[in-house]
Amino acid sequence: MLNKFLLGATILATSLTTGAVMADTSGKRIALSNNYAGNSWRQAMLGSWEKVAGQAVTDGVVAEAPAFTTAENQVTEQAAQIQNMILQGYDAIVINAASPDALNGAVKQACDAGIVVVSFDGIVTEPCAYRIAVDFKAMGKVEVDYLATRIDGGNLLEIRGLAGVFVDDEISAGIHEGVAEHSQFKIVGSVHGDWAQDVAQKAVAGILPSLPDIAAVVTQGGDGYGAAQAFAAAGRPTPLIVMGNRYDEMLWWKEQKDANGYETMSVSIAPGVGTLAFWVAQMILDGKDVPQDLTVPFLTVTQDTLEDSLAGTQPGGVANVEYSLEDAMAAIAGK
Amino acid sequence: MTFVKTLSQKAWIWSFVGMFAVWLATAVYTGGKGSADVLTAALSFATFTVIVGIGQMFVITTGPGNVDLSIPSTISLSGAVAMKIMDGSNAMLAIGFAASMGCGVAVGIFNYILIRVLRIPPIIATLSSSFLILSSAIAYGRGLKIKPPPLLADFTTAQIMGIPVLAIVIILLAAVMGVVLNRTMYGRSVLAIGQNMRAAWLAGINVERIRFFTYLLSAVLAALCGFLLSGFSGGASLNMGQEYLLASIAVVVIGGTSVAGGKANVAGIWGAAMFMFLLVTMLNTFGASAGIRLIMTGLIIVAVITIAGGDEPQR
Repeated sequence: MLNKFLLGATILATSLTTGAVMADTSGKRIALSNNYAGNSWRQAMLGSWEKVAGQAVTDGVVAEAPAFTTAENQVTEQAAQIQNMILQGYDAIVINAASPDALNGAVKQACDAGIVVVSFDGIVTEPCAYRIAVDFKAMGKVEVDYLATRIDGGNLLEIRGLAGVFVDDEISAGIHEGVAEHSQFKIVGSVHGDWAQDVAQKAVAGILPSLPDIAAVVTQGGDGYGAAQAFAAAGRPTPLIVMGNRYDEMLWWKEQKDANGYETMSVSIAPGVGTLAFWVAQMILDGKDVPQDLTVPFLTVTQDTLEDSLAGTQPGGVANVEYSLEDAMAAIAGK
Repeated sequence: MTFVKTLSQKAWIWSFVGMFAVWLATAVYTGGKGSADVLTAALSFATFTVIVGIGQMFVITTGPGNVDLSIPSTISLSGAVAMKIMDGSNAMLAIGFAASMGCGVAVGIFNYILIRVLRIPPIIATLSSSFLILSSAIAYGRGLKIKPPPLLADFTTAQIMGIPVLAIVIILLAAVMGVVLNRTMYGRSVLAIGQNMRAAWLAGINVERIRFFTYLLSAVLAALCGFLLSGFSGGASLNMGQEYLLASIAVVVIGGTSVAGGKANVAGIWGAAMFMFLLVTMLNTFGASAGIRLIMTGLIIVAVITIAGGDEPQR
């Protein structure tokens, strides 16, 4: 009884504040096409989608919002998946793409079939699709800017992501831009850590013996804890390591902070950006005017907000922000 | 001279030659700085490749078409299950280890059922079971990262005079497996089946039982790798087995085991695993970009395989 009343009140409130949202998209179906699920970031992304989109279905904002993940992280497989979605008649497809351009054919087919396509994280370049991108370059540069406020200069070790991926190139370009600006820093070594703790540990352990003293490590997220372990195993002093948003990274940071006042920062992309893409797709279906290219801010954790972020992250998870319709509207308005 | 000649005919020697060449090149480039530490690092990381490499070697040796593609997901599942059960407590170490081995046994039996009862070719069978295994790991742990018990973490990272303790244990394991391969009924049967399955069957070997044990062994070793690896790297993660798919096959082949089956050796796996790690380290030290690094890795592996297999044309 109470539930029914609450539901009614919510519907009333929502329809009052957001106008005709309910009426226009309640019959619409939005699908998520995802290329990979094998790490904690992607698991958090799928979890956020399930939570926010699932709630939207329960509330009757949209009719259906299933998530589909391809098994092998292959472009051909995802293209076939998108084609299936076209045949199944979805009204909108939200994509985290395996490749920025190799899916353009399938995306174009979807657009031609009158389907709204919104890409995020792994974006597609096809002009008819909407893109929700993070300013990865700025993310890389922020790391070096931060280092400049903390230490006088010195040698940097750069841990990059997955070779050949657009995101890796962008973040690295930002880091190098930052180093060019702050000439007191010098990158003396660079390895690929594939955004994974164990891969980063292995790569850093290999190159470390040949390197001079390292003042700081610039990273791309997911690799900070592995780097810390490699330094410890080699018996070298722990440098200033910029962290990502994984639970193990923040936990290690917290332990160091409590033990010896270790100070660093974390920049990352919140996996909840997928829910922003969901609301953008919903708004487009609703007839709202949405720019083709959107930029979302990256997630920053500082020495002061570390405890809060850690408390809000489940063990093994990823620091996250989920978006509501209002947040999505704010993002579109450029706030 | 005859000594050099005999030695150069051993298939496993080339992986060690490659390993020393790459190590030397790195040492010359850095002026000898940290060369010993590089070897220590190589030993600790090669250990894990060797564990799965041995299992893969037995599988590949049973003849064309036999390969275990479920190794990466078995590593992830075993690590996730063990870490969750132990929950960082030393007291649960034995139970965690048993659970991890249990995962290996279950995967091995499951793979064999697919291959034998449903008559699915091993490549397809182990590939499809790897999806099921990884999905179980995801459903079970959701990417949970639990710290390993301190005892396990200390054991997997301990060193005696620069030599990782775990590496010593696995060198012993490799030696035992070498004896198993060359001196036991089981090992000889694996080689015989790889050379000619029908002839082996006519000679009275229980072919299916040997194949069953081989897939079981591979899965159990993968589970062991997952258990130790999650102790070594501070917890299990979903994608921690990923790079061991190609690595497990590459070290077997570079180590001088015939892809066509019937001819195997264990020593070469150690050389090849060290070689693979040092190769990446060398190219990282040279500051080569990722593209060049991948091209070089490919070319050098092809070169080593060609030299190693040069004097004996493949069937």
